[in-house]
Amino acid sequence: MSRKQLDMTLLALAGLISFGLPLLIESPTYLQILILLFFYAYLTTSWNLVGGFAGVLPLGHAVFVGIGAYTSTILALQFNLSPWFGMLVGGMVAALVGVAIGKPTFRMRGAYFALCTIAFSEGVRVMIENIDSLGPIKFNGPRGLLIPLKGESFWNYQFMHKEPYYYIILTMLVLVLALTWFISRSKMGYYLAAGGDEPDAAQALGVDVAKYKLIALGLSSFLTALAGTFYAQLMLYFYPKGILGLDLSFEIAFIALIGGRGMIAGPLIGALVLRPLNEFTRIYLSNQLPGLHLVIFGLILILVMLFQPKGLTLPLTRLYDRLASKITTTGA
Amino acid sequence: MNILEISEVTKNFGGLTALNDVDMHIAKGEILALIGPNGAGKSTMFDCVAGVYPPSSGTIRFKGKSIAGLKPWDLCRLGLARTFQIVKPFAARTVLYNVMVGAFLRTSSTDKARDKALSVLETLRLDHRKDMLAGTLTIADRKRLEIAKALATEPELLLLDEVMAGLRPTEMDDMIAIIRQLRGNGITVFIIEHIMRAVMALSDRVVVIHFGEKIAEGAPEDVTRDENVIKAYLGSDYATS
Ligand SMILES: Nc1ncnc2c1ncn2[C@@H]1O[C@H](COP(=O)(O)OP(=O)(O)OP(=O)(O)O)[C@@H](O)[C@H]1O
Ligand SMILES: [Mg+2]
Repeated sequence: MSRKQLDMTLLALAGLISFGLPLLIESPTYLQILILLFFYAYLTTSWNLVGGFAGVLPLGHAVFVGIGAYTSTILALQFNLSPWFGMLVGGMVAALVGVAIGKPTFRMRGAYFALCTIAFSEGVRVMIENIDSLGPIKFNGPRGLLIPLKGESFWNYQFMHKEPYYYIILTMLVLVLALTWFISRSKMGYYLAAGGDEPDAAQALGVDVAKYKLIALGLSSFLTALAGTFYAQLMLYFYPKGILGLDLSFEIAFIALIGGRGMIAGPLIGALVLRPLNEFTRIYLSNQLPGLHLVIFGLILILVMLFQPKGLTLPLTRLYDRLASKITTTGA
Repeated sequence: MNILEISEVTKNFGGLTALNDVDMHIAKGEILALIGPNGAGKSTMFDCVAGVYPPSSGTIRFKGKSIAGLKPWDLCRLGLARTFQIVKPFAARTVLYNVMVGAFLRTSSTDKARDKALSVLETLRLDHRKDMLAGTLTIADRKRLEIAKALATEPELLLLDEVMAGLRPTEMDDMIAIIRQLRGNGITVFIIEHIMRAVMALSDRVVVIHFGEKIAEGAPEDVTRDENVIKAYLGSDYATS
């Protein structure tokens, strides 16, 4: 077996397993855990386009999740438009907002950019929490929005079982991973990486670093907002502190850092490690000490940063390389 | 025809005048060397020409057009590439990756960029290092990589800032051969250099600056005999040797 055949076989196997899992898992609770795992992997992969490839550290991506959720839900509840349509509108609004924040802030370096993104997303959260309605549009302040159950309907993006949600988020995740793979091998990927590593050198080679970062942020915001609509339709309820809050923004960054920033598989591996842990601590520990899961995340992050500063993907890739070379040589 | 015309360029950093009313030009196809003591303003001149920052006053024309308002990436697209005195490799990436970043300026196809980068690496005799991480290269190879990246953007004018510094004599001979070959391929070369052996071997013309002012200009043999230049820069040892 050649290395390429091995890779393809394993990839096909992973595809088959993820496709077949809902047939094996009967419990909606477990399926929900998987759905959220994919949801976070999707969010972090979208974040990775700018936070990983472009080498900046956005810490307020929840604002785009919120924009997606609010836009599609308001359009559906108050203007009777399909959430599928609202999802695209939300994506575009998020892209515009992303570009608008990126333009002045990308000139700042390091921590200043991160702080600005936090400040902006927190600002939006506080604003929404204080708006009951804006003209004809109801935001409902801190109570958030409830989507009334309308029964199984693709048009309304509502399903009675978890399986359709599972396949929707799985498809979204596969597509966004493929997009990242494609970008990382294209001119845009090279330009983002160069601009993130050594901006002066990149500019001298003809790279308009700020422009490429803006494109990446716009795309990342767009994709992130799509997941906001997904979340709204999955839960049928959301409120500012949850969907626009720092917890969500930080968890995305945690997953990326632990999995490996700027690596295609990083977000998926990070989510595979952190999500089960999150669910476990939430179920078993949160009654004793709310917020404990964040402390545990922090500890894990410190350990990973100490021993594998580039995240877990790199050592795992090396391990796989070693195993693969054994299999391919002994098998041949 | 002059590919680059610098007229009355002054550059102040706060109270410090790094360049004071400097005029110079480069003819197409020429190799021009800019020399002068440490802190004379040589790299500042490169930064002005490459669009890193605008001069405080004066004008710079590239291929007949003023570069006022143009950014480094605009100028690179117009055919002006430069290396940095303190090399700036994309250290965590391979040599090939580094050069492909430059090659992408003229194509959007990854395959074409890779082919272009490989052929540039061959020109610079660096192809055997293509899969190494740029951060692990020796000084000599880093300097070559710096040139390779710039060259991959297909420049008409190439600015080289002290590419000989830190090289051993044989490495320097290779570098001199490489720069001659570039000129042979029709590229105009503007070098900043401290090592006089390289200056003498390469340049058609030399400009000397001292404390931001031009103090001499001419053929290498004439400039090195100029009394002001000997006093300000070369030292009396050079004159007698
Ligand atoms: N960005 C800057 N801000 C403030 N001062 C600067 C800046 N860049 C250069 N200078 C100052 O301008 C003067 C000229 O510097 P420059 O780097 O151009 O010298 P140089 O001729 O290249 O010297 P060397 O041979 O050491 O490279 C120096 O006094 C330097 O300290
Ligand atoms: Mg210098």
